[in-house]
Amino acid sequence: MSGSAAGPQLQGVELELVRRPGPLLEQIQAALAAQGRPLRWAITAVEPGPGGGPEGSRLRLEAVVQR
Amino acid sequence: MSRDPGVALGAAGASGAPGAPLPTLLVIPTGIGCGVGGYAGDALPSARLLAAASGCLITHPNVMNGAALYWSDPRIHYVEGSALDRFAAGELALRPVRRQRIGLLLDAGIEVELRHRHLQVADGCRASLGLSIGPVEVTDEPLEITLTSGASGASWGRLGRPEALLRAGRRLRAAGATAIAVVARFPEDPTSEALAAYRQGSGVDALAGAEAVISHLLSRELGIPCAHAPALSPLPLDPALDPRAAGEELGYTFLACVLVGLSRAPDLVPLAPASSLERPLAPRGGGDGLEIAAVGAVVAPAGALGGAAVLACAERGIPLIAVHNPCVLNVSAEALGLEVLEASSYAEAAGLVLALREGLDPAALRRPLARLV
Repeated sequence: MSGSAAGPQLQGVELELVRRPGPLLEQIQAALAAQGRPLRWAITAVEPGPGGGPEGSRLRLEAVVQR
Repeated sequence: MSRDPGVALGAAGASGAPGAPLPTLLVIPTGIGCGVGGYAGDALPSARLLAAASGCLITHPNVMNGAALYWSDPRIHYVEGSALDRFAAGELALRPVRRQRIGLLLDAGIEVELRHRHLQVADGCRASLGLSIGPVEVTDEPLEITLTSGASGASWGRLGRPEALLRAGRRLRAAGATAIAVVARFPEDPTSEALAAYRQGSGVDALAGAEAVISHLLSRELGIPCAHAPALSPLPLDPALDPRAAGEELGYTFLACVLVGLSRAPDLVPLAPASSLERPLAPRGGGDGLEIAAVGAVVAPAGALGGAAVLACAERGIPLIAVHNPCVLNVSAEALGLEVLEASSYAEAAGLVLALREGLDPAALRRPLARLV
């Protein structure tokens, strides 16, 4: 997908994030920033961590980013 | 997710006199097939009830838009999804207005007759509802919308000409529009299984993801209230149409609800950035706008808690009411490590909001009630 030559390009992305201790939003924003400027995103699936809890869980993110 | 107990104890909404309005966020993500809110404004009754319970409800167009059907309530603030995310992050305040002047942005890809139908809706809203609408801009290229879905089954979408959208939006803003209603031509396949399922009350709204991309881009880049209505050809009659989808098959357009919603959408007031360690409990913006620090509850589907606004509120210690509202996702409080108040319905959620508004501990309303010691 591409926009007009001089304008923003919007790209759909799907990525996985392994959750670390600490605020979750910062981790998500950092992961998305590596892909572009996020326009819309959501966590769409969660696989529990080794201990069954949120730490170490694998999060699937679906997003549209601007490049 | 860790929670700062200091923030939780002093959480927004804990201040204020009992019974005073408790600003409440209602989030029902679009394009994930929610049983309530996944169709044509079918979450409106729930929103009306929550507005009555809270005295002040902040929600987004997916909740309020019923195509030909709509409801205007001064207690409900109509805020586009990405602006809602930024509000929850403390980047925006919401300033009530008496009216917005709504610029109408039409996709060049809309056929002449369908364009006339939309202009007639706008004229009808001017004549019969007293809305301030105009000017009208047509994009200099067709926007080229395509529909996609993610691995989760959630609806996403693509915009082929984002710069054309932004150019038209900038022209409208320069011409004096204080809000923008966008109408984009959407692809259609009247024989698709997805559409048939949607009309029968199951499946995901395939248009929703692309709609969100359009409004998110415009809202973020222009900083004024925006909302979107898809341009589609009318469908043949289906006698078995699900009541929740009926609002979208009453007329030629989806535009009326957008114009009504935008007519009193609050202005978006940028706030100076705060440090990541600063969680102000008092408003920062000068007092004439609603800020996230004043919000006392957020209501969201129990399986769709992984969005920006909900997570931002959770990190601020705002009570999160997770409502049983099945969808294609299973991103639960347990999976994310969130503390929530569970509600089996939006009616129960309204009761919880009312309890919070009155200063009641919701735990006192549940059984069993454990001893302190």
